[in-house]
Amino acid sequence: MRTAEFRRELRAWLDGHDLAPGDDHGLDAQVAQLARVRRALWEADWMRYGWPREVGGLGGPGVLRAVLGEEVASRDLAEPGIWSMVEVLVPTLIDYAPPALAAEMVPRLLSGREQWCQGFSEPGSGSDLASLSTRAVRDNGGDWVVSGQKVWTSLAQYAARCVLLARTGGPGHDGISAFFVDMDSPGITVRPLRTMHGVDEFAEVFLDEVRVPGERLLGAPGDGWKLAMDLLPHERSTCFWHRIAHLHSRLDRLLADGCEPDAGALGAAWLDLHTARCRSALTQRALAEGGRLGPETSVDKILLATAEQRLFDTARDLLPGTVELTDEGAWRTEYLYSRAATIYGGTAEIQRNIAARRLLDLGKE
Amino acid sequence: MDAEERELLEQTLRKTMSGASGPVLDASLADLGWAEMLAEEPGTAIPLVFRLLGETGAHASVLNDIVLRETGGPPGRTPALPYTGGLWVEWARDGSADDCPLDPSLPLRRVAAGGAVPLAEGRRALGWWLLGTGRAMLALARRHVLDRHQFGRPLASFQALRHRLAEAYVGLEGAEAVLTATGDDDTCALLAKAAAGRAALTAARHCQQALGGIGFTAEHDLHRHVKRALVLDGLLGSARDLTREAGSLLLREGRTPRLVDL
Repeated sequence: MRTAEFRRELRAWLDGHDLAPGDDHGLDAQVAQLARVRRALWEADWMRYGWPREVGGLGGPGVLRAVLGEEVASRDLAEPGIWSMVEVLVPTLIDYAPPALAAEMVPRLLSGREQWCQGFSEPGSGSDLASLSTRAVRDNGGDWVVSGQKVWTSLAQYAARCVLLARTGGPGHDGISAFFVDMDSPGITVRPLRTMHGVDEFAEVFLDEVRVPGERLLGAPGDGWKLAMDLLPHERSTCFWHRIAHLHSRLDRLLADGCEPDAGALGAAWLDLHTARCRSALTQRALAEGGRLGPETSVDKILLATAEQRLFDTARDLLPGTVELTDEGAWRTEYLYSRAATIYGGTAEIQRNIAARRLLDLGKE
Repeated sequence: MDAEERELLEQTLRKTMSGASGPVLDASLADLGWAEMLAEEPGTAIPLVFRLLGETGAHASVLNDIVLRETGGPPGRTPALPYTGGLWVEWARDGSADDCPLDPSLPLRRVAAGGAVPLAEGRRALGWWLLGTGRAMLALARRHVLDRHQFGRPLASFQALRHRLAEAYVGLEGAEAVLTATGDDDTCALLAKAAAGRAALTAARHCQQALGGIGFTAEHDLHRHVKRALVLDGLLGSARDLTREAGSLLLREGRTPRLVDL
């Protein structure tokens, strides 16, 4: 199906099916709403476009998923961060899981029956992810026994499965493997993190001698780092497009909320968003034409994070007192969350290191 | 024009611009078929020629042709062009003017207020020029930090400088995306020049700093590009003017236009 046609028909369908969230903006309600929207879109097939038939999809270009996410974000049907998680989880399963496992599991996620999470960061391994120390040891029966601790694991408290990185070999990139772990396995404890924006969407995950069947290894032993790197292009194409669409909707809301008419500040916020959008469109065109995405997506990441923080700084400036004093907390929550935009998914500094080393070819530090 | 022809044209243009500027370059461009290129393949010719003007540091009066093409008036004239601050200028074709105090090599002279002219194509072209100027500054700074050593290490090994140049690079890449993604819409052109002006000024700031003392001397080429960026930014509306105009449009419409789609 052609992109424009897909967008038109999708919009018509959404106009006729009320999936708007209720008044409860708590995390439980958000996750329930996410599942509700996915279920409806799966049953009406929209959620299947752009995914391969082997995992329950209807095929077609991946750009259709970006269009779907844009409509969902623009209509505020689901929070864009948790909406986009499938964009990294599903390609990982398709590329690294045994085909039967992917075929069995992916529809559960896409249809909203399950949530999954991604266990990468650790207390001792943030920017330096390759130093992670969660350990997986193979026992005599071919199963793996995993012990360690993860942190910043989004939606772990709701998740049925986890794509988990653990060390199976020596130090460094090559010693890391990836697993598809059932979150109800004995030995897993999840503790939601309190964060500054007041939404407990991140969690700590403790793994105490958790048994993982041998067939739940993703790829071969030692493929974990490659898997982690392979998901970046997914995160930085479709997911970014969703987020950019969301930010446009927030600039609209700022105008609708009667902000101070500071044309210079509003124009600057729009210019940043428009720049991120143009760059992301080119990135997705390159991906659609079969290009491999590499370090140049750090540019997309920097542009997006910069645009996001500028937008919410502008909102705070032009709606004076709103972030600090109003009871209705949407601007406060989103303003505070935007502080993390230059931290998660690779910090602003790591992105600039990559740009300097790989894109400007400045040699080693 | 296929990719190979385009590559060949770029090489030819770059060589020509490296050896000539002003009226001499105008004549060379005419010989190379500038008028035909502009008529037949503006989408290729304008970005290429204007970006290369920036990268090589040359100048030509081709902006007049872009503006006249849009007004539909007879070729060869020098229309009055709005400059920031409510000023007006014209770009002399004979190279006679030396009225631009900041960048005296440019034949830009102040004139009385002119009539309204369509600006979209000119803004887009100047955006490409500013992008090229920014890339020229970044190339100079990059070479310098790789070559020069202090404290027994190349400057390029210091993260503070790496991040400055990365910042300049990201701005230029963003501006190129905006220039590339634009359609025929006036607002797209406005945002494209704003993005390019801002990126060139950001590059000027970071590259100047990375080049240290040598970049402040008249013998080093950096100052030519810095001054060129400042002058071009003001022409047909500065980044600041255009950003404010974009904001006024938002306030008028009450909604953010989504100007590019997948």
